Amino acid sequence: MSDQRILFTKSGTAKYISHLDLMHTMERAFLRAGITIRHTAGFHPHPYVSIPLPLPLGFSSQCELLEFGLVEGSTVEELPQKMNQALPAGIQVLQCYDGGLPFKRLAYVRYDITLEFETPLADQAAQAFRDLLSRESFVVQKRSKKAKSGFTEVDIIPLVEAVEEIRPEGTFLYLTLLLKAQNPGLNPDVLLQGFRGEHPELPMIYTACHRREILAEDKKIYR
Amino acid sequence: MDHKLEKILARVQKPGRYVGGEYNAVQKDKAQVDCRFAFCFPDTYEIGMSNLGLRILYGVLNKMEGVWCERVFAPWGDMEEAMRQEGLPLYALESGDPVKDFDLIGFSLGYELAYTNVLNMLDLAGLPLRSADRTELTPLVVAGGTCTYNPEPLAPFVDLINLGEGEYVLPEVVQLYRKARDEGWSKDQLLRAAAQIPGVYVPSLYDVAYHEDGTIAAITPKDGAPEKVTKRIVQDMDASYYPTKTIVPSTEVTHDRVMLELFRGCIRGCRFCQAGFVYRPVRGRSHALLAKQGIEACQDSGYQDMTLMSLSSSDYPDLLPLCDQLLEWCQPRKVSLSLPSLRADNFSMNLMEKLQAGGRKSGLTFAPEAGSQRLRDAINKNVTEEDLLNSCRTAFAGGWSSVKLYFMLGLPTETDEDVLGIADLANKVYHVWRNNTPNRSRGVRITVSTSCFVPKSHTPFQWEAQNTQEEYLRKVTLLREHLRNKSITYNWHDPETSFLEAALSRGDRRLADVIETAWRNGAKFDSWSEYFSLDTWLNAFQANGLSPAFYANRERGKDEILPWKVISDGVKESYLWKERQAAYEGVITPDCRVKCSGCGANKLCEGGVCHV
Repeated sequence: MSDQRILFTKSGTAKYISHLDLMHTMERAFLRAGITIRHTAGFHPHPYVSIPLPLPLGFSSQCELLEFGLVEGSTVEELPQKMNQALPAGIQVLQCYDGGLPFKRLAYVRYDITLEFETPLADQAAQAFRDLLSRESFVVQKRSKKAKSGFTEVDIIPLVEAVEEIRPEGTFLYLTLLLKAQNPGLNPDVLLQGFRGEHPELPMIYTACHRREILAEDKKIYR
Repeated sequence: MDHKLEKILARVQKPGRYVGGEYNAVQKDKAQVDCRFAFCFPDTYEIGMSNLGLRILYGVLNKMEGVWCERVFAPWGDMEEAMRQEGLPLYALESGDPVKDFDLIGFSLGYELAYTNVLNMLDLAGLPLRSADRTELTPLVVAGGTCTYNPEPLAPFVDLINLGEGEYVLPEVVQLYRKARDEGWSKDQLLRAAAQIPGVYVPSLYDVAYHEDGTIAAITPKDGAPEKVTKRIVQDMDASYYPTKTIVPSTEVTHDRVMLELFRGCIRGCRFCQAGFVYRPVRGRSHALLAKQGIEACQDSGYQDMTLMSLSSSDYPDLLPLCDQLLEWCQPRKVSLSLPSLRADNFSMNLMEKLQAGGRKSGLTFAPEAGSQRLRDAINKNVTEEDLLNSCRTAFAGGWSSVKLYFMLGLPTETDEDVLGIADLANKVYHVWRNNTPNRSRGVRITVSTSCFVPKSHTPFQWEAQNTQEEYLRKVTLLREHLRNKSITYNWHDPETSFLEAALSRGDRRLADVIETAWRNGAKFDSWSEYFSLDTWLNAFQANGLSPAFYANRERGKDEILPWKVISDGVKESYLWKERQAAYEGVITPDCRVKCSGCGANKLCEGGVCHV
């Protein structure tokens, strides 16, 4: 029997649950809901839960996926309602289904990014973003655990698949970007960090990143 | 969520601990609530959420109609700095509302080194630190917890103190507050009335006079406050509230598991142990109820670990049937059951093997507390060398290869011979391993840890002087020189925090100024090495013309008035003195089940009889 997946949201206070803590939260929620899930084989079996694309701490999302194996305690249809009674605030299961595309086919993430500026600099910032993203190449230093120096360099431009919207509004600037998901993917924080380095005259006082959709390599919704 | 808070959270470590929203966190409709209670824990979220007392009282208060109890923890330095910068006052996790707008603010105090955090939290809330400067009825600042058996160092800061177990007395205080508010009482009126509730101590209703040498001349109650305030206890543990439906943190906390409380109190009477006296008499839950509650708590929380808590689990009379019942449910579900506070005897070892059957073998920990039988008798720690070595023999033969041994240095009557007894015992444990291990090539890890004994109020050693830091370190060096085996690791606890703890734990209310000065000079989170600075404290003592050694390193006379004279835990002071003399004679006192030694705590029970 194939494994199952749930599609869930992560928002509000749940934005601050880290990836590892989220896995524990999910394991406990399955137990609370009376749903038995598959354990891994081996010497120290543990419940199998897998999240293909960990969400950075502080981001919200309406399209998170978690894979697990349903053993007993619920049908796929009843599962969202059962889980939602067992989950903390801000996590809501929208759907549960059998199977799904292989993880490696998850190619793009559509992000909604909200930026707040101190004064009405959003127009200026909008132009700055347009200029920046239309460059041939934009290299940003990124923290790395592997590199000896603690930093590696990433060129952001090839990792931005499409700039779908850049909309200033008062002190706010709204961006919608389609970014590469993996191998390598782009964390929008890296882009914002690069922007800060390029434009110290446009300080952001608040940033929020939201995952709106995940897409396969054919740009169809990934599930 | 508040926009200002969201901005702050982007730049602090572990923001999850500042937002609430966990499973089972209580949300109430403000329209249905007339009394807001902010339960403040003066340490981090991770420590506070590991506290069973908080979970019990949170449940008890939220069961009251119209009362909404919320949690508040001390923000870590980065968060505090950001909050002060942005002008965000201390808020409660459930509603996000500012603490200063609550009706009651309750602090749970488990250890002295959290005192500065109490001040810091009041300040972050935007409230005056001193009770006298908070002239309105609201908010009322209350405190409770083990550390309030000597409430004096915090006396000027809190409005009233609940002594003993809060399950019943806290709701009574809440009801009195509601009456006072509805009838428009002044704060003074309320405090005078509160002092009449058994178990409530109102520090402002006592005048303290001092002799020239700094000892207390008199403690005088006024406005009808009682001469003695005696702690409250839960009479029937089976009938008292246990939180089977409790908050499950979404982020990792220190003790992240079901905590099942077997019993309160302890039959043993170790003479150094404050908990062993102030929680008397021993009162247990029935095993059938415990098994039911443990299973329910696991089912409701989804926790995969359960720990059985008490001061000495092996003394629970129905431990075997309880464990059998729990294991029957836990094992097929892969829920692990742990039993800390076991005694070093054969019964306990067999039980441990049963609990860990099939699982990974965790380390073994024993607390002989003292190295020689003579000193163990003096402190009434009824563990023999033979018990300990037998337990180790069973363990090593069963494949265990790591043992931790905990000791205290500086216990009353201790000589260098007793100190060397620790090395001797550790070496004997090593030889037991050599002779019994099935696999010598794997090696063994024996860890010896020592801490510096802190005399506490309400114990037979409340009159004792603590060893100076120099004396403690001399003993550490002596011991270190005699622990030369490479399989034995020696860790010693730094004496600086123990010294401060000793100075604060038996302090009088003049120490309030010291605490405030230390806090103003940056002291907070004193139990965390990241923040602790003894110099800050020494300067604060000096600035107020007081000496920490007067409190920590001075032996008190039998007739000296102790700062906590008004506070009774039910145990007679004459009994404590008798126990102290027994310590010097090396005479042990049998446990409560063998023979009642007449400590006086039986009078706390209905009918005047303990049910040991």
